[in-house]
Amino acid sequence: MTPRLSGTGLSKIYGNLLALRDADIRVMPGEVRALIGSNGAGKSTLVKVLTGAITPTSGTVEIDGERAPLGDTREMIRRGVACIYQHANLAPSMSVLDNIFLGRQPTRRLGFVDTKRQRREAEELLQRHAIELDLDAAVGDLPTVKQKEVEIMKALALDARVILMDEPTGWLASSEVAKLHNTIQALKARGLGIIYISHVLDEIFAVCDTLTIMRDGAVIAESAVAETDRPRVVQLMVGERLARESAQAALQKRHPRGTGETRLSARNLSKKGVFEDITLDLYAGEILCITGLIGSKRTELVRTLFGSDRFDAGTLEVDGHAVSFAAPRGAIAKGIGFVPEDRHRDGLMLDMTVTENLAMATLDSYRRGVLLNRSKIAGAGEKAIKSLSIQPPEGARPVKLLSGGNQQKVLVGKWLSRAPRILILDEPTVGVDVGAKAEIYRILRHEREIGAAVLIVSSDIEEVMTIADRIAVMVSGRIVAVHDADAVSRDEIIREIGGALQ
Amino acid sequence: MHVRRATIALIVFFALTISLFSLVAPRFATTSNMENLMGGFSFIAILAMGEAFPILTRGIDLSIGAIVALVGMVVFDLSLIFHVPGYVILAVALAVGALAGALNGLLIVGLRLQPFIATLATLATYRGVVYAISGRQLVPGLTTTPIADPWITGLETYFDIGGALGTDDFLPLPWFPLSFFVMLAMLAVLSVFLLRTKVGRDIYAVGGNAEAARLAGINTGRIILLAYALSGLCAAVAALLLVARLTTATEALGFGMELSAIAAAVIGGVSLSGGVGSVFGPALGAFLLGAVLLGLTLLGISQYVQQIITGLILLAAVGYDRFLLIRRQRRLAANVA
Amino acid sequence: MSETRAPEAAPDLVRHLAANALPLVIIILVVGFALAQPAFLKPDNLIGMVRQVALIGIMATCTTFVIMTGGVDLSVGPVLALSGLAAFFFLDAGYPLVIVVAAGLAVGVLVGTLNGLIIALLQLPPIIVTLATLSIVRGLALIVGGTDQHLIYDKPAYTFIGAGTLLGLPTSIYIFAFVSLLMIFVQRLTPLGLLVAAIGNNERAAVLSGHRTRLTKTIVYALSGLGAAIAGIIQSSQVHTALSTYGPFGTELDVIAAVVLGGTSIMGGTGSVAKTLLGVFFLGIVNNGMNILDVSIDIQLIAKGAIIAAALAVAAHRS
Repeated sequence: MTPRLSGTGLSKIYGNLLALRDADIRVMPGEVRALIGSNGAGKSTLVKVLTGAITPTSGTVEIDGERAPLGDTREMIRRGVACIYQHANLAPSMSVLDNIFLGRQPTRRLGFVDTKRQRREAEELLQRHAIELDLDAAVGDLPTVKQKEVEIMKALALDARVILMDEPTGWLASSEVAKLHNTIQALKARGLGIIYISHVLDEIFAVCDTLTIMRDGAVIAESAVAETDRPRVVQLMVGERLARESAQAALQKRHPRGTGETRLSARNLSKKGVFEDITLDLYAGEILCITGLIGSKRTELVRTLFGSDRFDAGTLEVDGHAVSFAAPRGAIAKGIGFVPEDRHRDGLMLDMTVTENLAMATLDSYRRGVLLNRSKIAGAGEKAIKSLSIQPPEGARPVKLLSGGNQQKVLVGKWLSRAPRILILDEPTVGVDVGAKAEIYRILRHEREIGAAVLIVSSDIEEVMTIADRIAVMVSGRIVAVHDADAVSRDEIIREIGGALQ
Repeated sequence: MHVRRATIALIVFFALTISLFSLVAPRFATTSNMENLMGGFSFIAILAMGEAFPILTRGIDLSIGAIVALVGMVVFDLSLIFHVPGYVILAVALAVGALAGALNGLLIVGLRLQPFIATLATLATYRGVVYAISGRQLVPGLTTTPIADPWITGLETYFDIGGALGTDDFLPLPWFPLSFFVMLAMLAVLSVFLLRTKVGRDIYAVGGNAEAARLAGINTGRIILLAYALSGLCAAVAALLLVARLTTATEALGFGMELSAIAAAVIGGVSLSGGVGSVFGPALGAFLLGAVLLGLTLLGISQYVQQIITGLILLAAVGYDRFLLIRRQRRLAANVA
Repeated sequence: MSETRAPEAAPDLVRHLAANALPLVIIILVVGFALAQPAFLKPDNLIGMVRQVALIGIMATCTTFVIMTGGVDLSVGPVLALSGLAAFFFLDAGYPLVIVVAAGLAVGVLVGTLNGLIIALLQLPPIIVTLATLSIVRGLALIVGGTDQHLIYDKPAYTFIGAGTLLGLPTSIYIFAFVSLLMIFVQRLTPLGLLVAAIGNNERAAVLSGHRTRLTKTIVYALSGLGAAIAGIIQSSQVHTALSTYGPFGTELDVIAAVVLGGTSIMGGTGSVAKTLLGVFFLGIVNNGMNILDVSIDIQLIAKGAIIAAALAVAAHRS
């Protein structure tokens, strides 16, 4: 049988970063193939190559045995490759109907859109997949869950032969995940090939037939799902070294509640429609991890603690004093530092140098009257580069030329020079290679040793088990459990995270 | 929803403005004043409709005033120096406008220049070309010779519809200028194009989310090119109407008009962040500006104050747009709850 | 490790050439014009050229920060006119020179601050806000000054500002040099310079780093207004006249062109006041050279447009 889709020897080089290394992937008709790997393993790059969104440096892609031109989205769509992207790819001001048929509305003579046919086809599609959507609503007015459904409809409307799903269940509710899985089974029965990218092992073991594991830009293993088990998959994903480190970390002494001094304390903190009734204490000298599914509002919670968003009800205390920050500036003055999840969007000044980025949170301390002490900044930068082992160790290099891991070290480093009393990090190792990951852990442990209170948001369960002293589990805007890391098993945490799924 | 609500607000505001001036300004609600409004602002409305396309794709076109001058000078030369028949002139004029617009698009798509910068550069270039081809100084007396070709001057015709229908006895109607009908025709064609054709939808898609449009296989470069070509084409139509009205063209024709057009488009609800707006809004926005300016003139308020009021209207328009956006986000957040 | 070293030697050369394209082009132009018309290099001509670009130059250096934050200030032309008028009326009323100059400058700072506040607090698009103030300030200037030329005579102290000479050089050149050096200094040696780049690069990150981005943006527009006011005072003093239509439409575009030619991205982020000066001189040399060679206005305008487009296309491909 000819594979629906077959990519061979695919590589992609960005500047000096090898994002994809000689990767092969195949999916047969009626097969659901899982594509898994840690963040930054190269899955998204591979997906983009397969959809034609980027042109690979080398390699070939065949659809139903026919060689497809590379880097041409239009041609890939024409050949029946559809993709549901991780981030919504919709035009927010346009209607649901227009978005479902984005770029390929059925037309009559003279390029007029056949609106009747468009509507009829959309209604049929919705009915067939038992999904309810207001076709005339503007997509931007829909809640995010509904937007995801529009994305799925968009792919289905293509009459695709291959569907790539990039973390499609990221923030779907349990009933919706089940519905999506039913849809996948139906598509499978119709002979489509599906590539399913997900972090959630439960889903992979529930819906996929085969799996492809990636690490550091390369495919490192392939297997039938039935012939493997979770521990093996996890070990392959994270690599021997990290697995070993994680085993070692388990032996490390944990410090739940640190020195016992409360640094930050939230009581019944609520923000309407976002999170509710959050009660949480963070102590000096401990690392507290908040874990949960993407969309469980962890990010929104920590942004509120940092004063970037406001809360409606409840109280927040720092060092025993009630606070209500109007802006991050207020939180920073209280000794809080924050490393955001999306370092390109919220964290770095990409065109500016490493040294300048490192100084960004501490400009006031380099003032001399109205002047800025540039040499002091350079000196502090050099010191930070050395202590964080940022590679290459050149302070004058624009930060955009650094690898993801080193960029992240810069972001963490910019707070360290303030000696933060509370350090909040949102997904600190996303898109970071294994070596840098270990170094970031080392840095965070060091901060803990010198008495900082560290709060980490992470969806990577291995990371949580490796580094946390205490673990808080968040589900749909609520904290459902807080454990001492020593007293809880990985499986228990996974069960609680998936609490909403039962 | 968003678009419709903003449009309704604009219509209401327009009606209120007209009513208010009719009450307070002497001779505002007269047929001759309405003729002034239609004759004097139809070409601004056409420019504004054209400007809507680049803005819909998240760009901007600063060169339309210069294109107006360029087309005006082409018409002047062809008619008075080369004595080319009028119907040929019309075709050439439209082609020149569309090409000048397409060149803007080419710079933006091909050389990846920012729209603001690209059209700033062509603004200077097109004005230069105007001087280069200007035949005004070549032949003595040409500057005072009016263009007499009936194909051109015919554009400045007024129709006594009231007289023809016999309604003048009980409801005197103004004489309608041809330019107003040209504007209506373009409004109809461009509206249908934007709302009903695939390419029209693609324009919204490119402006709303360029990356999504690209991934959906839309040739975004071609769409952007088309948007600027349309803007140039509309500038050419406006230039023809203007030349017909003045029966001549000068090097300074259309000076600063891009700002009026952008203002009308923004007042008409075209969002500078792309993907939101129509052509009806900008057209109405132009007449709203016109009504305010004419009304204030009739009230004896100096032109200088009118400039200030124009600026304030512009601020109010973007402010209102921003207000709608924030309210929409708030409501969305509340919906999720 | 997932990193490889890309071959660097060849692209580096190209990148360096592109990065230094403007100084190279300026040298080539100077040599070219000098060969074509030796009078180009005469001190008188060179001084005249600097004097000619002083007004645009002052406004361009002062508005560089605005463009670096991703904004734009279209209102500089009318501000120039209104500042000149304000100075005239205070002069006419017999106030001492310091008050006169302060009044002129205050107009610019006031309009700029207003621009900045609306843009920073209401988050409205800068291009539209400053377009609106362009119209509003022009209207104000016309109300205050009408269309009459307000002649300034018998005020040697005031006319010295723009028309005097010091050690053989026009005073306006000294002011231009002083303002430029001051802005370069602000960019290189004060927190403001770094903050402006940070906001243009990533405003969200700047907020999350605890910076007062709204205050910074307001200051930046106030500085731009101040630049236009300085230019307005110099101009009125230079030609002994205050007029409401000075700084005609197109002035702001010349100013922006100079800034952008100097390599400041219109999207914000990267930029340099010193390089803006290069852009100013580049445009000045092109204008002056073509004037001296007696190139007609049409070719001048076409050349200017083509040169701007070409220079920016090179810049776009560099990044």
